[in-house]
This record gives sequence, C-alpha cells and structure tokens, in this order.
Amino acid sequence: MPVLQTRSLTLRAAGRVLVDALDWHVHAGERWCVIGRNGAGKSLVLRALAGLGVPERAGEVLWQGRPQQDWPAIAAAATRALMPQQAQDRFALTVERTLALSQVVMSCDSRNAGELMSALDIAALAARRADQLSGGERQRVALAQCAMQGAALMLLDEPVSFQDPAHQQLVGRWLAEAASGGRAWIASAHDPSWIGRVATHVLALFGDGRWQAGPVDEILSAQVLERTYGCAWRSFEDVWIPA
Amino acid sequence: MTDTREMPASVSSSAKPRPADPAILRVALLALATVLVAALALGLGSGGWDWSLIVSLRAPRVAAAAGVGSLLALAGLALQVLLRNPLADPYVLGHSTGASVGALTALLLGAQLWIGAAAGALVAGLALLWLARPALAAADDASPRLILLGAMLAAVFGAIATLMLALVPDQRLRGAIFWMVGDLSGADASLWNLAGAGLFAAWLWSRGRSVDRLMLGADAAWLLGEPVRRLRLELLVFASLAVGLAVATCGSIGFVGLVVAQGWRLAGVLRTRELALLSLLSGASLLMAADLLARVVVAPLELPVGAVMALIGAPCFIWFLARGVK
Repeated sequence: MPVLQTRSLTLRAAGRVLVDALDWHVHAGERWCVIGRNGAGKSLVLRALAGLGVPERAGEVLWQGRPQQDWPAIAAAATRALMPQQAQDRFALTVERTLALSQVVMSCDSRNAGELMSALDIAALAARRADQLSGGERQRVALAQCAMQGAALMLLDEPVSFQDPAHQQLVGRWLAEAASGGRAWIASAHDPSWIGRVATHVLALFGDGRWQAGPVDEILSAQVLERTYGCAWRSFEDVWIPA
Repeated sequence: MTDTREMPASVSSSAKPRPADPAILRVALLALATVLVAALALGLGSGGWDWSLIVSLRAPRVAAAAGVGSLLALAGLALQVLLRNPLADPYVLGHSTGASVGALTALLLGAQLWIGAAAGALVAGLALLWLARPALAAADDASPRLILLGAMLAAVFGAIATLMLALVPDQRLRGAIFWMVGDLSGADASLWNLAGAGLFAAWLWSRGRSVDRLMLGADAAWLLGEPVRRLRLELLVFASLAVGLAVATCGSIGFVGLVVAQGWRLAGVLRTRELALLSLLSGASLLMAADLLARVVVAPLELPVGAVMALIGAPCFIWFLARGVK
C-alpha cells in the first residue's frame, strides 16, 4: 500500500498546464525531492497532495490507498503534514507554544518534542517568539511543527532554502532518517548535490506539464537536469554545478 | 531492560504551554471588585449611602456597563483571531457602525432593536471578510490593509447612519444620536448582556484549542484537522451577536475590544481560554471605570461614555501601533 498515490493528477494555474496526468506512487521509506524551475509548480503540487485548495485540478490523490476527500479531517491530520514555504505568524506565540499547538493528539507516534528540538538545533529558541526568529531559524521550527504532527507523509516546501551550509547538512541528515517506520517524505529543493545526499527518488517538473519520476541516480543526470533548468550541468564526484 | 531512559518518552514538558501566572487572574478580579464598588458608591451626592438609590438607579447602569464591556471585549478577541490581526476591534473595523445602521433601520421600521443591530454587525463583518480576502491570504502582514479597509467600511456605514438620521422624526432624534456616540445614561439593566457575555466566554473556552490553532493560520489549522470554515463562521456570528447586543443597549462604544484583549496579550497571556476569561472580567471593569469617569469628571453633567472610552482607547491603539505590534 503506497503512502501516497496520484492518478492522472493535472494541475493548471493562470492558464498554463503545470503538471499533466501525473501517475505516481510514493512508498514507505522513500525520500522524494521535487525539482523544477521557479514557477514550475513545485509548491502547487505539494499543496494539492496535502489536500489544500489549488486554482484548478483534475485527477485523484490517494493517501494510504484511500482518496484524500474520503478522509475525516482528524484522521487526515495524522496521515499527512505540510510544511509551508513561508510561516504566517501574526500573533506573538513562543516557539514551544507553536510546537505544542502543532501536535495532533490522535497521532500514533507523537515524537518527543525535546529530542526533536535538539535534533533540529532549535532547543535554545524554545522561549523565543516565533515571529522574531531569523528566516533559517523559523524554517527549522516549521520543520519541527510538521514533524510534531506525527504524520506518515511529510510534505516539505523548500525545507532548506534559508539554511546556512552547516544547517543544510544538519537538516539533510535528519531528513535522511525521517522516512523510517512506515513514513515517507516529499520535499521541494533546488541543489542537486544536496538532493543526491538525502533523497532516494526525484520528481522533475519540466514546467510545461511534462514530468519525470524515478530513483535519484536516474534523474540526477546532466540530461534531465538540463531539461529541468534549461542550462547545462557538470558533475565532479557527487557535486553538481551549472555550467 | 532496567534502563528507564528507554521508556517511551511522552512529549517533553518543555513543549507544554505554561499556563499564565495565577497572579494575573487575581489582578483582574481585584480590579473588577474595586471598580464595581467605586462605580456603585461614588458620586452619590450629599445624601450619603442610600441603598434604595443604589439599587434603583445605580445598579442597573453599572450592570449595563459591565455586560456591554464584557461583550465588546470578547467580540474584539474573536475578531482578532478571525481576521488574524491583534489590532482588530468591532469599532475600528466598522462592525459597531454597521450595528448602528441596523439599529436605526429597526427604529424606523419599528422592529426589535437588538435584532437590527446584530444583523447590521453581521453584514459589516461579512463585508469586511469578503473585501479582506486577498489581505488575509497574503503571506505578509495584513494589518495595515485590514485596518484601512475597516476604517473605510466604518466611514461608509457612518455616512449611511448620518443620512438615516435625517429621516428620523425630530422628537426621536436625540434617542437616535445616542446610537452613534455610545451613551449609558439611558441604558436598561438588561441581564441579556451579562448572560450573553457569559455564554460567549464559555463558547470561546470550549473551543480554546481550536481557536489557538487558528492563530497559526487557516491553512495550518485545517491541516491539523480543525473545522476551519465552521469555526470562522461561528466566530463571526458570536462576535456579531455580541456587538449587536452591546450597540442595542448603549450605542457604539469603541476600543474596549482592542484595549482589553491586546493589553492582556502584551502582559504575556496568549491562550484563548485565559484570554476569554480575562476579557470577560476586564471588559466589564474597563467600561464600568470609563462610565464612572463619564459621570464624575464634570458632575453634575454627564459625558457620553463612548467619548471617554475613545479618549482612553485611541492613545492605546497608537501606542500598540508604535510598538510595532504585528
């Protein structure tokens, strides 16, 4: 039973087809990265997979083999979690309060918040106001919020875009272990070298509706990367550089 | 096997929200008691302590002030979460002006005032929600746009109310103006206000965690399994009923909702349950105190309490803005 499955998922926005007839399976233990140019539809795909509203969609998304619209809201919360690209803090909540509110009571595996905070290097921020953190700190708190939900599927919209190199490594190492025990995650990301280290599979969106999904070694090739980003790529060992 | 560190760990205490300092509740209760005694006892004149005077004249007015203050503070709290803006207030955003238009309409048609006022507040609330959709969905801070939209909505409803005043027969004009400025001098001791405020606070308490999650954002709350659509509708309906009741009692009084809820937030109270309880208590204290000032400052003349509240509330609003409250 795949954690996530799509059947002919088609997404349009502003008159453009961004994803055309996506047939896709994500199984437990898999770590997927979604790549594509700016505006290619990465965030839109993640929103649609989470069940949030998108401008125009067709086709089906199934969680644990069951269509997403058939899930009761509370059971759905224990099944999938979404980390948005940008947190929307309007009230002066502390980090620990924000995390406590993000815990789903019914979730089968509510993680130890303290361990989680240490693992993501945010333990020292517990008493700080979430709306006053730096971009990178807030992003790691958002990742912790997502993990606190204890869902089988984590959907992460750019989990490392604001991270310094050391924290990119730290988050990458944490993510590499976050797909155990029946779990999986899907993250949008940009750096092929980082993706090569943390992901098992990649979904490439070419921006015109076409897409390609497969194991990381297959997709991280000069040919697919060029088709994705429109520029040539060279690799040295496991490091990818745009030419 | 004997290593207790291997025990399945529950969520560590560090992630549990700390309840607000119990001293805060004591302060709120003490303030309420002090203001209550002062409001009942002060300005009795040379006749001294006259029970019959207190019971027949003073108590109804003090009860009306307490009920309206609680209702407005709770409506402010609900609107702040609904509109994701800690500076929201039924007066600033046009809800109470809308309620005034509704009350005037009911007055002209001979219908029940509070129904007209509640309907007016609901219409103003829906209009604001509809107009503010883009601002509410935006990732950046929606405060400035929301406050300007609310101010314009209040201006439109204020203009409509002024136009309607021209239609009111002369002998009822003075009574009609009363809805525009907010005045407790003719208010009845309606127990509906106190009962309504109690019910509103109890409802907020029962939905405390869901409302707290709504503060994270509508999408975030929905992803956590909260019935966001229903919750937001309930918040709007409760706030509109509360504003309607308040306006029908004593016209539109501003800034109670803003000052009470946001004031306690700045004191470190962030949970909806605690804010609901404190809004119930301190909303009553604040309006009783403002009414006391309105009665005694230039006694034997009386000032409209709405003007006194604005003199207290508007500087607070400016101070909150200057502090960069987001």
